[in-house]
Order: sequence, then structure tokens, then C-alpha cells
Amino acid sequence: MKGDKEIRHRPHWFEQFLEGWSVFWQNPLGKIGVTLLGIFALMAFSSFIPPLVNPMYHPMTGVDPEIYSSVGPSARHWLGTDFMGRDIFSQLLAGARIAFMVGVSAAFMSIFLGTAFGMIAGYMGGFVDTLLMRLADVIMVLPTLLVVLILASLFGQLNIWTIVLIIALFRWPGVSRVIRSQALTLKQRPFIEAARVAGASHIRIIFRHIMPNVLPLAFLYMTFRVTAAIIIEAALAFLGFGDPGTVSWGMMLQWVWKTGHMFKALYWLLPPGICISLITLSFYMIGRAMDEVLDPRLRREETAR
Amino acid sequence: MGYGSSRSFSGCGFLRFALIILVVFLALPAMSNGAPLLKVGVLEEPKSLNIWLASDAWSSRVLSEIYQPLFTREPSKLALVPWLAEKDPVYDPANLSYTIYLREAKWSDGTPFTSSDVAFTARLVKEFRVPRFLSNWSFVKEIATPDPRTVIFYLEEPMATFLTRTLTTPIVQEKQWKPIVEYARKKEKSLAALLNQKVDYPVGTGPFRLKEWRQGAYIFLETNPNFFGTGKRIAGRDLGPFIGGIVFKNYGTSDAAILDLKKGSIDIFWWGLQAGYVDDLQKDKNIRIITNEKSGLYYMGFNLRKAPFNDKALRKSVATLIDKDFIVDRILQGFGVKMDTVVPPANRLWCCTEVEKYCEGLNKEQRIKKAFGILSEAGYKWDEPPVDGSGKVVKGKGIRLPDGTPMAAFTILTPPADYDPQRAMVGTMVQEWLREIGMPASAKPMAFGSLTEQVKGRRDFDAFVLGYGKLSLDPDYVRNFFVSANDKPQGWNMSGYNNKEFDRVAEQSVKEMDLEKRRELVMQMQRMVVDDLPYIPLYNPMLLEAVRTDRFTGWVSMVEGVGNTWSFCELKPR
Repeated sequence: MKGDKEIRHRPHWFEQFLEGWSVFWQNPLGKIGVTLLGIFALMAFSSFIPPLVNPMYHPMTGVDPEIYSSVGPSARHWLGTDFMGRDIFSQLLAGARIAFMVGVSAAFMSIFLGTAFGMIAGYMGGFVDTLLMRLADVIMVLPTLLVVLILASLFGQLNIWTIVLIIALFRWPGVSRVIRSQALTLKQRPFIEAARVAGASHIRIIFRHIMPNVLPLAFLYMTFRVTAAIIIEAALAFLGFGDPGTVSWGMMLQWVWKTGHMFKALYWLLPPGICISLITLSFYMIGRAMDEVLDPRLRREETAR
Repeated sequence: MGYGSSRSFSGCGFLRFALIILVVFLALPAMSNGAPLLKVGVLEEPKSLNIWLASDAWSSRVLSEIYQPLFTREPSKLALVPWLAEKDPVYDPANLSYTIYLREAKWSDGTPFTSSDVAFTARLVKEFRVPRFLSNWSFVKEIATPDPRTVIFYLEEPMATFLTRTLTTPIVQEKQWKPIVEYARKKEKSLAALLNQKVDYPVGTGPFRLKEWRQGAYIFLETNPNFFGTGKRIAGRDLGPFIGGIVFKNYGTSDAAILDLKKGSIDIFWWGLQAGYVDDLQKDKNIRIITNEKSGLYYMGFNLRKAPFNDKALRKSVATLIDKDFIVDRILQGFGVKMDTVVPPANRLWCCTEVEKYCEGLNKEQRIKKAFGILSEAGYKWDEPPVDGSGKVVKGKGIRLPDGTPMAAFTILTPPADYDPQRAMVGTMVQEWLREIGMPASAKPMAFGSLTEQVKGRRDFDAFVLGYGKLSLDPDYVRNFFVSANDKPQGWNMSGYNNKEFDRVAEQSVKEMDLEKRRELVMQMQRMVVDDLPYIPLYNPMLLEAVRTDRFTGWVSMVEGVGNTWSFCELKPR
């Protein structure tokens, strides 16, 4: 009895979160995804440690004073060294940090834009809707990677934050379409009617009443956008258009390729490649599991009960 | 049913695709006139077969086997030897004239090569002011052709570069170019009209002529039956060619070309290898790695036209902070040499060894302390100096110029890693070294075209890392790169170096015909440049090339590598 009371005292959102979490955790995809992501987060956090241990472990400038070329794994360099004697393991850790930074910030920005435009278009309708959606159509058909490549060759290599911004600017339309359709159905619901009759302004209706209802969907899309952003950054870096001042996984792949170690230094080629695959996989799995939480129709019989 | 049929259709499509690929490969020519063809792997196709426009490496590679100069350099001592000319030029100091006797030669279309072709080429360069060649010809006052095999050049003033630069210009055929010149002359922008003229079949005097260019796949040069050198002995070398022709196969990436080299589909990959490939290729007994010195200069340049790089002390401190040993040992993997002056050390006659070596023998801490000393003396201040009160080196922050303003962030432009991974990496490392003392530097790799446009065209930049891979052996470039008259859009003086004393010595050097005296002047010029540091010379990379030895023998090594006309004329099938 006492327990029941306590549960009732929990706030509503927390209650909802717990319920969602239990559905999420029962899904094997969600479990694997979160575990993988946890490992990468740990890598990103620990990337600050190696340079403190010894300056030769600095991912960009630290070189082993005795090693002048790429050598395989050893006790001193767990994954070996790159062509000029830098430690691959500390580069891999630094790469995790960059991947999170690029992925999460680009996805957050694109979700922010997509949600805002989607809600406004769906709620306002008419001319605003047409204008925003045609704009979304135009941007949606532009191939992001190609546009970034052209920009990079025109203006020289782009800074990592510029790359993040460009990815965000190109990736909002997909989200805005989904959010718009959600906003369209919400608009017809009685509670919005009621708010309007009560004299609420458009801004208040959009942000107080529509936004809380589309946010979960937006977060779902965010997980998919993270994977896209990480892959685009890696592709850019691999092709030689990344930010040369950052040690990202794509950059590591580019170094192994351009210095002619592609076919002989697997200890250097495989780790960044596998990391890129796994981190995008983990975000994808989390997205799939979240999909199930948000859309009960996808749940299997027993979880739906 | 529908599913099945669509499957068989896609299968059919795949077969067709495979067939097309097969046909393209089988169509690659293998023999010509009974002699096997040399297959050369290249990364790109020529941009143009118009010799006046073609300045990129890939066009020059093809055109150098077609168009020939009057004099060329022989491979062992790099001395100038008569090529289309029959013997050494005769100099008449009284008239300032050079008389050149031509060899009996024919163009690849069978028509005779005469003195009027030479005069035509010279006049074309002068009339249209062809940018690549003009500086070598502007001082030629008049050209006379008393008979079809004699040309006399009258110069305006004595010019040391006449032999080495002017007479090594490729000669074009009057018959082919006359109509083009007449057409271009009528146009408002005549130079553009000349340069944009498409040349499908260049007619030359070289050992090979164009047979077929299948865009995107290969270029086939067949042996020129009219080549003047066939069966002759020039510079002590018996010339062929003994091969049926050359097929340039286009790969796009080094990896694909190297895989094909290992398989035996090409005989040479005509491009410098990255050191990482060497170990693996050396395991193959049919592949030989050939190392040659380059006549190159890879350097960091500054924009002297604006702050903060108009300050000599700052440039000196940057030169002190750069670790050239790191660059050569690690980034170049030992395949290169440090440079202390702007003339490569391999050019022993002209390289000045007595110049200040800014970073020689210093470790990181000593370099930072020395640079800190240079800058503090010049009045630079820091919010947090890189050397603290106890003499310990820490990370410097908030550097201020002598006038008290904080140093603005600046960029070091480099070619992209895709074009030259070494220079891109040098830029990144220099960025890190400069940041340690608190300079807000950031390296910015940039597509090569935009980079040269920004540095040479708009001249809007802070600093850059560039290189010359093929400097001529004559040191006239020291004058060209730094003389103030060349500080103009598209000019050679990219730094905007302006030193009256240097200009005076430079002008004197080019007119000095006495070798010893000219040498002293060139040394003096180098000392001035290294003291003022418009460029910081960094390194001269070594050229690593891989050739197969199972089909042909007789590769000729030269300063620019084994891919040269001498090789192609002397290679013999096994």
C-alpha cells in the first residue's frame, strides 16, 4: 500500500519514462545498442587520459621518440603506431570524442530546425506551409556529401564546426516532414481547439501544446540523424576534406590510405573502420528500440499487454 | 514468373556489363610494328594536348614524348646536349648572337623540320606573350633563318639563361600552328583563343606520336618512324626506340595502379610512391624500386605585404620553431633531405651551404626558448609567456604584437592530403608547433587550383606550404621568386618580397656570363633570402618509383626519375 502511494507521488513524466524504459530494455536491440553506446561514451571520456600519462600519447602531435614508422601492437602501443610513430589507441579514443561531438551536435541542430519548421508549417498551414515544405523539398533532394565536397574544394578545408553546421542545415527536411504531419493531426484535436478558444496565442499553442506531443518523435529521429552525421564526417575526412586539425576516425582511415599502409597495416585500418560501423549501428539500434516505445503498434504481443 | 524473369534480366545486364569491361581490356593495344608496348600507369588524363596551355604534370608527361627542344639534358651529368640542334651553339659576343645548326629531322607527319619552324615557335611565344615561356624569350630581339638548317638568335642583352631555359623550349610545327595563329590573331582575346584551341593530333619530332586517345581509359603513343634519333648515338647513348609504343593507362588512385603493377598489367607507375608502399613492393622480385633525387624545393612562404608577417623577427621565430628533422625523419619517412636554402643541396654548383640554420640541432624546449628570445627582443608580449619566470617551458597564451594588439588568427594554406599528404601533414604539424608558443595558427588544406589562385592571383593569404618539384638546374629561379618586379598578380614572387639590394644583385646575376662571378652573386642572393626569410626552405623529397623488370630492361635514372625520354628511347624488350 505504502509503495503504491509512493509511486503515485512520482511525477507523471517520470512514470512515463519508466514505462518506456521497460519496453525499451526488453527489446534486445535496445539493450545491445545502449551497451555499445556506453562503451563508446567511456572511450570518449577516457580520451583525455593518455596525453596525461605521457606526452607521446598525444593523438595529434605526440610521437614515440624511438619509433619512426608504423609498427604493430605492443605493450607500449596497444594498437601499434601510425606512419610517423603516433599511438593509434589514443587516436582511436580521441576519434570517439569527435564522433560524439559531430554526431550529437549535428543531429541536435537538425532536429531543432526540423521540429521548428515542421510545427510551424503544420500548425499555420496555407502559404507558410507551402513555402516551408517546398524549401524542404529543395534541400531534401540535394546530395549532402556532394555539396560539402564542392564547398570544401571551393573554400579550402572546412573547420569541424562548419562541417557540423552544414550537415545540420542539410538534414532537417526529413524530420520536418514527419513533425508537420504530426502537427497536422494534433491541430484538429479538441485540446488545441480549447486552447485557442481560451485565447492562447499561436506561439503559446505551438510551444506549450504541440511541442510536448511531437518531441518524442523528434528524439527518435535524432538517433537516425546521428548516424548520418557521423558517416558523412567520416566520408569527408576519408576523402581528404575533413578538418586536418582533428583526429577523427575518418581522418585515421585517410592517413592509412594515403600513406600506403592500406593493405599491410590491418592493426591501423580495422579499428577506426570497426568503430565507425559499431557506433552507427548502436545509434540505429537505439532508434529502432525507441520506435517501439513510441509506436505501440510495433510492439510484440507480450510487450503490448 | 515475373520475379524470375526480372532476375534473368538483371543477370543478362550483368553479363553485358562484364562483356563491355572485357572488351575494353582486350582492346588495350599490346603490340605495335612487331615490338611490345610499354604500359605506363598514370593517375590522371592530360588536361590538354595544346602545348601552350598544358602545364599540369599529366599533360607534360604525354607531350614531352611528342614535342622536342633544340637542346636537352643528358642523364648522367645533366649537361646540355644538342637534341634537335646538330652541335653546340656558336656565340658571337660582338653581335650578341647565337647561331644554331639544326639536325636533319622530320616531323611525325613526314614533312621536314626546318629553321622556319624554330623561328615560328619563338615568334609565337613573343607575339602572344605565352605566360609559361615568355620570360625565356622576351630578351630575344630578332631571329634570322639564313638557310633551312641555320637559326641565328640576336639578344637584347647578355642572358645567362638563354642556353639553359630558352633553347630547351619545345618546338612546334609551323604547318600545324599557322592556321591556329592566324585565327587567334583575329580574336579580341588572342592569347585565350590560342590557349583554348583544341589540338587532337599534335605533330612533333619526338620518338612517339599520338595514335589513339580513348577518353577515360588510355592514351596510345606509337613509335614515330620519322624520329631523328633512331639508330643514332647521342650523348654516348644508342637511341631506339626499341619498343612499339607507350600506352598510358589512367588509374585515378595510387592503390589501383600499384595493384596492377604487382599483377604485371603495367610496367611502370609514373608517379612518386609514398614510403608506405616500398616494403611490400620490394618483396616482389620482378619489381625494382628506384630512388632519385628531385630538383625540388618545398617551403613555407609568408605574405610579407601585411602584418604580422611583414616582421622579420616573427618569420625568424617561425623558422626556429619548425623541426625539420621531424619532417624529414617522420613525415617523409627518411626519403628526403632537409633544406637550409632555396637551392636543393643536390645542385652542388649553385647551393649555398654557408647560411644560417635556424633550428639545427635544437630540441623542442630549446627551440621554444630561442623563438621566445627572438620575439621578446622584438617587443612581442604574452598574457601567459611560453617560458615562465623559472625558465620552464609552458603553453604560451595571448601573444601580442609589438604595438600591443593581440595577434590575429592566421591560416597556413597547404595542398589537400589527397594531392600531397606530406605537405598537408607538414602544415598540420607547423600549426601545432606554432600554437605551443601561443601563435593562433591553423592549417588549412585547400584544393590546389583554389590555393594557387588565392596565393598567386588574389594574393590574399597569411602563409602557405608549397613546393616546386621540378626546378631547373639553372638557379635563375632564385631571382624569379624574389625579385620585386615579379610581385604582381600571377607573378612568381608570391611572398611580395621587396629588397632593393636583392633586386640589384639579381639583375646583375642574370647578365653575368662568367660562371664563377655569377656563382658568387647567386650565393649572395641565397644568403639574403635566408636572412630575410620570405620563404622558409623545408625539405627536398626523394622520388621513389617502381618499375617492373620482367618485360623490359634499360631504365635510365635521372634527377627527375626514370620516366624520361632517354628511358623510353633506350628500353629494350627482354
